[in-house]
Amino acid sequence: MSVTETPKVASPERKWVGKSVRRVEDPKFLRGRGGYVGDFTLPGMLHVAVLRSPHAHARIVSIDVGQARSLRGVAAVLTGADAAQLCDPMPDFGPDPASHTWRCLAHEKVRYVGEGVAVVVAESRYVAEDAVELIDVEYEPLPVLVDPAEALVPGAPLVHEPLGSNVAYDRTFDFGEVERDFAEADLVVRDRLRWRRSGGQPLETVGSVADYDPASGMMTVHTNSVSFTSYLFMVAGTLKIPANKLDINPLPAGGSFGSKLFATKPTVIAGMCSKVTGRPVSYIEDRVDNISNCDHHGSDRLYDVELAVMRDGTLRGIKIDTIDDYGAYIQFGVGHHGNALAQVVGPYRIGSVQYRVRAVLTNKNQQGAYRGFGSEVNNWMLECVVDKAAREIGMDPVELRRKNFIQPDQFPYFIPTGNVYDSGDYDAVLDKALELGEYRHWRSEQQRLAAQGRHIGIGLITCQERSVFSATEFWFWFDEPGAPVTSMPESVTLKIDATGGVTATLYSCAFWGNSPETMVAQLAAEEFDVDPHDVTVAYQGTNQGLPATGPGGSRTTVMLAGAVKGASGKIKDKARQAAAHMLEISPDDLEWVGGGYQVKGLPDRRKSLAEIAVALHLFKHGFPDEVESGLEESKVYDHPYTTMPSDDRSDLGVFYPFMGHACHVAVVEVDVQTGQVTFPHYAAVHDCGTLVNPRSLAGHIVGGTAQGIGTALYEELVYDAEGQLVTSSFMDYLMPSAMEVPEIAIGHHETPSPYTSHGIKGGGEGGRMMAPAAINVAVNDALAPLGARITTLPMTPERILAAIDAANARPAG
Amino acid sequence: MKPPPFYYAAPATVSEALSLLSEHRESEPRVLAGGQSLVPLMNFRLAHPTHVIDLNKVTELSFLRSDDGRLTIGAMTRQAVLERSAEVRLGAPLLAEAAGMIAHEPIRHRGTVGGSIAHADPAAELPAVALAMDAELVAASGRGERVIPATEFFLGPFTTALEPDEVLTEVRLPAAPGTGYAFVEFSRTHGNFALVGVAALLELDGDRIGRAALALCGAGPCALRVTEAERLLAGASPDGDAIGEAAEVAAAGLTPSSDAHASGEFKLRLTRIYVQRALETALARAQDRR
Repeated sequence: MSVTETPKVASPERKWVGKSVRRVEDPKFLRGRGGYVGDFTLPGMLHVAVLRSPHAHARIVSIDVGQARSLRGVAAVLTGADAAQLCDPMPDFGPDPASHTWRCLAHEKVRYVGEGVAVVVAESRYVAEDAVELIDVEYEPLPVLVDPAEALVPGAPLVHEPLGSNVAYDRTFDFGEVERDFAEADLVVRDRLRWRRSGGQPLETVGSVADYDPASGMMTVHTNSVSFTSYLFMVAGTLKIPANKLDINPLPAGGSFGSKLFATKPTVIAGMCSKVTGRPVSYIEDRVDNISNCDHHGSDRLYDVELAVMRDGTLRGIKIDTIDDYGAYIQFGVGHHGNALAQVVGPYRIGSVQYRVRAVLTNKNQQGAYRGFGSEVNNWMLECVVDKAAREIGMDPVELRRKNFIQPDQFPYFIPTGNVYDSGDYDAVLDKALELGEYRHWRSEQQRLAAQGRHIGIGLITCQERSVFSATEFWFWFDEPGAPVTSMPESVTLKIDATGGVTATLYSCAFWGNSPETMVAQLAAEEFDVDPHDVTVAYQGTNQGLPATGPGGSRTTVMLAGAVKGASGKIKDKARQAAAHMLEISPDDLEWVGGGYQVKGLPDRRKSLAEIAVALHLFKHGFPDEVESGLEESKVYDHPYTTMPSDDRSDLGVFYPFMGHACHVAVVEVDVQTGQVTFPHYAAVHDCGTLVNPRSLAGHIVGGTAQGIGTALYEELVYDAEGQLVTSSFMDYLMPSAMEVPEIAIGHHETPSPYTSHGIKGGGEGGRMMAPAAINVAVNDALAPLGARITTLPMTPERILAAIDAANARPAG
Repeated sequence: MKPPPFYYAAPATVSEALSLLSEHRESEPRVLAGGQSLVPLMNFRLAHPTHVIDLNKVTELSFLRSDDGRLTIGAMTRQAVLERSAEVRLGAPLLAEAAGMIAHEPIRHRGTVGGSIAHADPAAELPAVALAMDAELVAASGRGERVIPATEFFLGPFTTALEPDEVLTEVRLPAAPGTGYAFVEFSRTHGNFALVGVAALLELDGDRIGRAALALCGAGPCALRVTEAERLLAGASPDGDAIGEAAEVAAAGLTPSSDAHASGEFKLRLTRIYVQRALETALARAQDRR
């Protein structure tokens, strides 16, 4: 599937960081011993099925659960009204949760097709689903809002009456001298672009098993949500239990791609049902639950963009006006646009930015997280308009990009929004991509095949790949934020046992298809000179846990590296003291070499880590009084580089500083009769700072690119005019398979971050942050001779043909 | 996504199956073959059969016989067998080509020839092949056996000439030596339902097209034979516009329905393009075979 070059080891003194070691997670998953939530069972466990709303917008007049309750095997039936008594609203970081209140089940009215109306708790999922069919709900249908533009019209039906409109957020930000740059520009390139909603599709849906003990008041949960740690106390609040009575234990997430980032609803539903029945309760979404009611649909944006350009290709300023259709609720506020603002000008020296975002509510499932978290949409928008600018001024699209690159000597580089780019070498990445993408070859092929009536297009894009978010991006939107959170820690405990064996404990990171165990094993192996496959990795539930945030915003490897470095430093300090005592020498005369401490210049006088460890574990009285037994240390690692926004928000501060970069070259062929797109070639070059494991990063790039191909060509959550979700199973929600994804030539470049351990930057989302832009630009390149251009994703065959038809219908000239 | 309770029986012989169907006639039992359509329908609760008769243990229905180029295929023969069988490649290359386009490989290892034809999904490949090849479909019931020509078998979406107590037991395909063939289809992704599929057979008679057979799937309420286009092709010169005209004629009068993947208008456009592509390929192969 991919060709991965092996990068030169940037730092020859590193032994494990930078090596494509086999993933330590694989053996258990390949043997079917991963222990997913579907395999998790407790004695006496009951099962939940959810009755989903068939209406997009309707008042609930009455619910009759009599028949359902009397079905044999049913333990409880709870309606939205019951849930509103049993639970407080869901944890919500939206602009004004009191006005757009989100609950685990709809109360009084339903706001989208698929919203939960009632739940049945029964001896089996089969019986629960039988009983769901027996619930009789009377609905009074209300006017439906599907088009975000219609939701903006005054007098439109309201999704949330207390909000008084369907606009949950509307603000315009000016960064830099926007009007000056536009006044001085030679021309302004305008574009109107539409990115339609799709979403991450995990093989295993979200599930939670909750076990409430009425005797102790303890609620023990086992779930595959990936954010079970950071805002746990809010889930406890929803369940009306003290936070220290809620213990959430991670199960492998399977896949997430963001879609399990803040998956709290299944835990609330399972917890509520366990409290009512006094028995363990499992709620696992089925596919329709997941697609229609997962709270993790992706961005759904309309853009009006203006780019101020000089004739020589200099990009001066950009005005971005975006309407984002959030669906019926808005759990993260407009944090997705914080992601966009982190890298809003791409790799270019664009001096000023105006950014208006309107968050509109409609009758759809709400947005959550999807690989890129909104930054991928900005990348696509920017590259489409930059490419259009190149065409309008008649400049080579590669040269226009190169001309505007931020140069290596300009880092750290503050972009107009206030965020910083820590480091980069964009020309080097571009050069490598031109080579791997066989750019010149395909340009000549394009001409040759055009003579045969074939339509080849080449899309080259250069985009940013932000990593390691700071929580400020969730609240700098407001002058007076409700919760100006700044802590996004990640913790690791390292234990050296009496034999010198290394165990790392993680406090988040339920395996979500990434390689957290491999990362931590490689990082610990680097510190202690052991084989990564000999490092044991364990997970801890929240009740015994240390502060941790979990994956999101490509932060895991950077944060784990910081935590491992910190914990190993403490262990090594203690081990050095112990070795010095054992060797009867000053600690300053010791150096760490080959898995132990030795006297500088005297390799014979040394103590291995195992020798030190056994002494510290078992021979306390061989040491001075102040030395404690054991060799175990923890590190709570906080975000290494965050600054606060200015009061007037003309400067948002540093909130996403470790800036990766990539260049993708997509070569497409468009069948102009059918609108079908295929890939004769595809190349991706990424710079995520120092590489920890080139092969696992390549896996990220391939998977993310495959998802980007889905976003570009296939995937769309389609709501029809009545608000029915017509793509509610994999029969209708189309994803690319191995048959649609081309072989991808992958290249790596390493520009270490000056601010992180080993110089690592995050790289978990890069493929999807690049591919939609590359493919759209490529298709436009293929269609350019026909005068056609596509401005809507996904580029379905019909949309491509419609663009060609529209071009044909225009008078020539 | 769990089905409601249902009665289930797994007979070992055709006669046992037939007597079960007759016994439970009042309950309108559903016959389970490969289960690649019925089981999802039951899990989605879109189909609520109270009685399911499973044919997977009826080994006598799983066979493939070749007799002077005539193929007889047992209804429970897995679709994957068609792809790999030398007899099918030789005797009915159209069928082999179409079989490779049915869904994905794992599905073809469960899905059966008879199941696909009896289910009569408008987008399915095998009904179109059966039509183009003038297949004879053998139906059995407690009342005996009858042979239904494919042209009389497909009545509408998911509707066939089979009576409730009948089971499709075998598919008979006539020999068609020296014929150019092509099965082409357009689907959004590999393995997905075809928006439009075309089965084409074309014989040459000297320098002219002799007989042509053309059947479509996806473009109508069920698989259909487009005889007007066939008549237009018969006797025509392959060098002229006959193929283009046949494509126009084949699409004329069709009103494919719109769905999540395509508008009816787009399917119509695809029908013209794919009929043309199928005929061009079939013609080239017929010319190759000379």
